[in-house]
Amino acid sequence: MEKITDYKYALDESSIVAITDQKGIIKYVNDNFCNISKYSPEELIGQDHRIINSGYHTKEFIKELWTTIANGKVWKGELKNKAKDGTVYWVDTTIVPFLDKDNKPYQYVAIRSDITDRKKGEEELKKTLKEISDYKYALDESAIMAITDQKGIITHVNDNFCKISKYSVKELIGQDHRIINSGHHPKEFIKELWTTIANGKVWKGELKNKAKDGSVYWVDTTIVPFLNSIGKPYQYVAIRSDITERKKGEDQIKKSNQKAIEHAHILELKNVQLVDFCNIVSHNLRAPLINISMLVDYIEQSSNEAEQKEVLAKIKPVVNHLMEVFNELVESIQIKQDIEIESDQVILKDCVEKVLIGFETQIKEYGADIQLNFDKTDIIYFPQKYIESIITNLISNALKYKSPNRKPIITIKTKKEVNNSILLSVTDNGLGIDLVLHKDQIFKIRKTFHKHPDAKGFGLFMTKTQVEAKDGKIWVESQPEKGTTFFIEFKNQNI
Amino acid sequence: MSPIKTLTLVDDDDVFVFLTTKAIEQTNLVDLIKVFGNGLDALKFLKENKNNVDALPEIILLDLSMPIMNGWQFLEEYTKLNPTIGKKITIYICSSSISPDDVTRAKTISEVSDYIIKPITKDKLIDLIKKL
Repeated sequence: MEKITDYKYALDESSIVAITDQKGIIKYVNDNFCNISKYSPEELIGQDHRIINSGYHTKEFIKELWTTIANGKVWKGELKNKAKDGTVYWVDTTIVPFLDKDNKPYQYVAIRSDITDRKKGEEELKKTLKEISDYKYALDESAIMAITDQKGIITHVNDNFCKISKYSVKELIGQDHRIINSGHHPKEFIKELWTTIANGKVWKGELKNKAKDGSVYWVDTTIVPFLNSIGKPYQYVAIRSDITERKKGEDQIKKSNQKAIEHAHILELKNVQLVDFCNIVSHNLRAPLINISMLVDYIEQSSNEAEQKEVLAKIKPVVNHLMEVFNELVESIQIKQDIEIESDQVILKDCVEKVLIGFETQIKEYGADIQLNFDKTDIIYFPQKYIESIITNLISNALKYKSPNRKPIITIKTKKEVNNSILLSVTDNGLGIDLVLHKDQIFKIRKTFHKHPDAKGFGLFMTKTQVEAKDGKIWVESQPEKGTTFFIEFKNQNI
Repeated sequence: MSPIKTLTLVDDDDVFVFLTTKAIEQTNLVDLIKVFGNGLDALKFLKENKNNVDALPEIILLDLSMPIMNGWQFLEEYTKLNPTIGKKITIYICSSSISPDDVTRAKTISEVSDYIIKPITKDKLIDLIKKL
């Protein structure tokens, strides 16, 4: 009997205990019950047990409870009850029916323990889990997601990832993430990415990836390493968004900018040519026209027939000169309009020898020595008719402006240059040009630098125009009484 | 006795030189007409005669576009030489160029009195000589 009292004491100390009759009217509550429910024993005794109902549980749940205990069976479960002040608490509950001799319950002993804290924790956890799954949902819906292990093997992809990469989930899981590498990025770039995430840092950047069908797409990418307890990444979560359209737009803008710059450059060039042309007209066409007009005026005013005849005879050469200048102008304009002319594969040796035939008489007469050195580069890509004209002009100049004191030596050489171009040089030992005086004018039309009857000042102007028609460059080095070297750089030589 | 002794043409254009010479001769205002086909020849002459006042011209008609040494280069050298020359020489640029750049550039050179665009008439020549 004493033992039972001890048990009861232990139970009262440890648990929340209440006893009701078979109708649920409270007959006994212990201190723990009063503490948790915030009622006094007086307020509870004689009351229906439903006084602490929170209304949280469904009717079916409560009914099942009553059915169980009314049938003399023990009920176990978790209940949410309401205290006097309206706060709620959770109790782990065991209800034991005490049976009479007819096996009918005559009272119910409810033994409870407070699990409010545990329940709260559970609820919080549930809430957090729900929040997390909401986040995941939001991310899955909005972003392109992939998770790889620390070696880069894909362990998870979402629908968006499959959609953009055109692979199925099955094709991706277990594969190295490099399956979508486009090869666009340099090795250093990829290395930097891996170094960053392997060190546990977040990487952000724009990546060009390749889909299953070979098409490429741009993604704005954030890779977050998930770290284990010792701070080492055990997996990487990559969150991407499709920026292909934006990238296309950027490319478009870049291209149209580039085009605008090119156009501006061409326009600038055209403007320079136009100004040049105006100057040429002003300087070179106007002079003979004025001569003609002055000659005609003179004839009109003169009454002396012999004088009239003398002056009349002077008109013809001026007209011829005018014609010549005019034709040269037309020729140079044609070159400028003919920028699209195709390059030929010119074998330089053949070309120069062909040109030299035209100078045979002069070469013999002057005892000129022509040295060719094309060992390194014998082939030039350039319009055949231009290169013939260029070489003709340069050889013609070298012979025309030879020194009276020595036999002409003319050296024609080629050299490969680093930037896919070939340098052709024509060197003579002739009169030379005073470059201090004539630097700016050497390639201008109608500029002559020697008192030579055949000096017309058109050859170098034409040569420059032809060289520049194909983006080439021409320049000169010279010393009076030593000789002159003309250099021509031919671009885009496919060497 | 003519108003001026010497007028110098610096011009490589044979026709212009021929006609202008004739026109000047007809005015009877000039004793001697000297012709140089380019700036360098003219400059050499001036250098050699910088103290020989009688040989130096009163007026120079200077073309711009010439071989060897053009009008601008001549003016550059002449400007350096000018302080040592023992006579006031009036220089007119006489060019067929109608380029505004040339006209503007001529104005910046104090040694140049005026820019005359070819053709030059007999009346204009008389005017120039008499103005002196």
